[in-house]
Amino acid sequence: MSRLQRLLRNQTKVDFPELWKTTLKVSAALVLISVVALLVRGVNLGIEFEGGTVWEASAPDVSTADVRDALRGVGQADAKIQFVGGDVLRVRAELDATDATSVAEVSLALANLTGQTVDDVSFNSISASWGNEITDKAIRALIVFFIVVAIYITLTQEWRMALAALVAVAHDIVITVGIYSLFQLEVTPATVIAFLTIMGYSLYDTLVVFDKNRDYQRRSALVGRATYTRIMNTALNTVLLRSVNTTITSVLPVLSMLIIGTLVLGAVTLAEFAVALLIGLLVGTYSSLFVAAPAAAWLKERQPEFVELRDRLEARAQSRGTSVHEVEDVAVGPSPSRPAAPSSDRPARRPPQAGTAIPPRPRKRKRR
Amino acid sequence: MSRRSLVSLVFILALAAGLLAASLAVGNRPLLGLDLKGGVEVVLVPEDDPDRPVAITQGDLDTAVSIIRDRIDGLGVAEPDVTRQGRRVVVQLPGISDQQRAIDIVGQTAELRFRPVCAELFAEPFALPDAEGNAEVPLAPQLPDPALDVRGLAPCPTGIDYNSLETSTSAEDELNRFVVLPQRDANGEVTSRLLLGPSALTGAGLSGADSSYRNEFVVDATFKGGDDGANKFDEIAIECFSGTAYCPPGAEGRGRLAIVVDGNVRSAPVVNAANFDGQVVISGRFSEQEADDLALVLRYGALPIEFQDPTDPQSDSTSRAVSATIGGDSLRAGVIAGIVGLALVFLFMVGMYRLLGLIAMLSLGVSATLLWVIVAWLGETQDLALTLAGVTGLIVSIGVSLDSNVVYFEHLKEDVATGRALRSSLELSFPAAFRTIFRANFASLIAAVILYWLSAGSVRGFALMLGLASVLDLVATYFFLRPCAQLMSRSPSLMAHPHRIGLPTREEAIPAGAEAS
Repeated sequence: MSRLQRLLRNQTKVDFPELWKTTLKVSAALVLISVVALLVRGVNLGIEFEGGTVWEASAPDVSTADVRDALRGVGQADAKIQFVGGDVLRVRAELDATDATSVAEVSLALANLTGQTVDDVSFNSISASWGNEITDKAIRALIVFFIVVAIYITLTQEWRMALAALVAVAHDIVITVGIYSLFQLEVTPATVIAFLTIMGYSLYDTLVVFDKNRDYQRRSALVGRATYTRIMNTALNTVLLRSVNTTITSVLPVLSMLIIGTLVLGAVTLAEFAVALLIGLLVGTYSSLFVAAPAAAWLKERQPEFVELRDRLEARAQSRGTSVHEVEDVAVGPSPSRPAAPSSDRPARRPPQAGTAIPPRPRKRKRR
Repeated sequence: MSRRSLVSLVFILALAAGLLAASLAVGNRPLLGLDLKGGVEVVLVPEDDPDRPVAITQGDLDTAVSIIRDRIDGLGVAEPDVTRQGRRVVVQLPGISDQQRAIDIVGQTAELRFRPVCAELFAEPFALPDAEGNAEVPLAPQLPDPALDVRGLAPCPTGIDYNSLETSTSAEDELNRFVVLPQRDANGEVTSRLLLGPSALTGAGLSGADSSYRNEFVVDATFKGGDDGANKFDEIAIECFSGTAYCPPGAEGRGRLAIVVDGNVRSAPVVNAANFDGQVVISGRFSEQEADDLALVLRYGALPIEFQDPTDPQSDSTSRAVSATIGGDSLRAGVIAGIVGLALVFLFMVGMYRLLGLIAMLSLGVSATLLWVIVAWLGETQDLALTLAGVTGLIVSIGVSLDSNVVYFEHLKEDVATGRALRSSLELSFPAAFRTIFRANFASLIAAVILYWLSAGSVRGFALMLGLASVLDLVATYFFLRPCAQLMSRSPSLMAHPHRIGLPTREEAIPAGAEAS
């Protein structure tokens, strides 16, 4: 059976704990790079956050495309172009109004375009439209959100899961913002919304993965016979295809926006947004399996009952002169990916026989 | 069971179709944001007041910008663009073609002022007949220029027949003069007029206001500490409390302090204490609505400077139509990209899950239809504007809402792989998968509610979309996917050919090796 076929049938044998050793290093490195980039380079905030300069000129028969071309010549292709009251052209760009040379360059370009003199083009400083109070409120809302979500996950699962999920969300946001800082991509209100979308997506995705894990930790035939991490590994293998498929369905529209919208049709505004979303969606799925899961496993393995379990398994392994892994294998059967948990709500009642798959439950004629 | 599924399916399809038809019939359309469609802008230029003690600073303008932004945010989720451009404040509002409406939304351009009340007058000026019974006495003319003291206050004028005074014009309405201003009822009719003294206390001294219920509806106003706010308020309060010539006592034995906005007295409460220390409670048998309104006036009406009236053709303030900031080309690119993306998703889902994939896409169709109806309705009633970012967010939510289906289908596969019969798997997998979907969506919903409740501007618009998408995902999953699954499990031909719904047959599902051991 090919690897793809196995994936399609949920019969993968990915050894997640082994992969985590590498991915955690990669994640740590990415987070470190992101933090350093943020500290050293900061983020490139757009005109909505920092303000800039606004030019106005009478321009009765000029099109947006003409203006865009003229501005590209003076390096202001991403300026906001608007027509006010029909025939007054207004251009807003992220350019300090005190930077006289650059301001004059734009004025001249606009004057040439509209066939007027530079004096006919007025300019002024413009303040940020995204006020500090919006940022302050958003940060306060995010803090409350983190607290409430932590409480929610603690209530429905436990605090270890809450901590692990929030670590993953923070990981995603830091890396996405880090990439923006590293490549000095412009952060606009649209990008901020994209960051928030990513946050929501990452949390959602992590919760779906954790839910599957919880199912297995409760109902799997291996409970008490294998370590927490080992059972989680089985759960992750089962949920892997779902993660891959969901990522594909989420990424396809964004990718199409990035490629068709930006490259083919040349819509610059779409690009900044699509890039943030694309990175975020990929990182969001990745972090559920490779950050949230190992974090949860690490925390759980330190819980007394699981320490005890591991000690027991280790003792058994020692007495047989094998490794814990092999002891588990005996309990699990040859394939770690055999989904040993009945996924619906009825728990496995019969004790499983070691070394065999769970035999099919006799079909019932009717349920209730 | 089968009949119930059918009823549920018919219900959700009829609901979606009915709402869509109704929405189209009344002409609800999603309101497109400033970037996509443009709108109206109102340019506010500060009033040049030669009597103003200090020149207007950039800080004053920035405060005005943030107050106006708050005011518009308080009305709904339209994403306005409020900036200071030089000395002007420019407010752009999406999706509005009526300039008067834009001006109404931007609201009061006047300063909020507090003035001691000298006397309450009749609604219309009139003169008492003279000694000979001759009513043709000329109306009492001018109010004297007040003799201001260091606090900016002056004793009320004497020797004038107050009732014969004319109502002050807006040009006469200046902080350091005596004025006669009307008090109006809910219909805008003048109920009485008040002769008001000068004062130096404006809305700039306020730090906040809110309505609350304490035996009755009251308004709590908080003044900034120090000489600009709390101290200045106390200076007036002590005069009114003692009923001096600065603020003579009324029928209640205490003087009153009027709250004036744009030449109208909004409220004139009696001052019942000499010292407030910045914390003022205004009570007055308010209804809840009246208390809310007054709090709103105090909170948002507190512009630190006065702007020229944009409705006045003589003034420098104007209102004009503005075009979209994103060209039609970008919008078209976005739409094409969205359609292509959707088509790719469709091919993927159907290729992967066959009939189940088709059901997933139909389920998406149901939630998308409901979302369109709600967005159009909110656009019509709440000025919810769809910006490019909002549209893209919706495209992303396509992928996410398909996840509910994927979670279910994978659950199904797993169940079949453990050896359960396809028919019972179809039914039994749903509750388990739905629990997962519910828990995950509920977390998104929490995020949405908190962000909507606590944030402002476009973050708020995002929160609304996130919440809507989460709820609709649950609705579509429960009312569409579930009955579909149940109906499928009743189809004998499907049960015989699991490939049609993207599932392996039982022989394929269970690897040969496992059974042999």
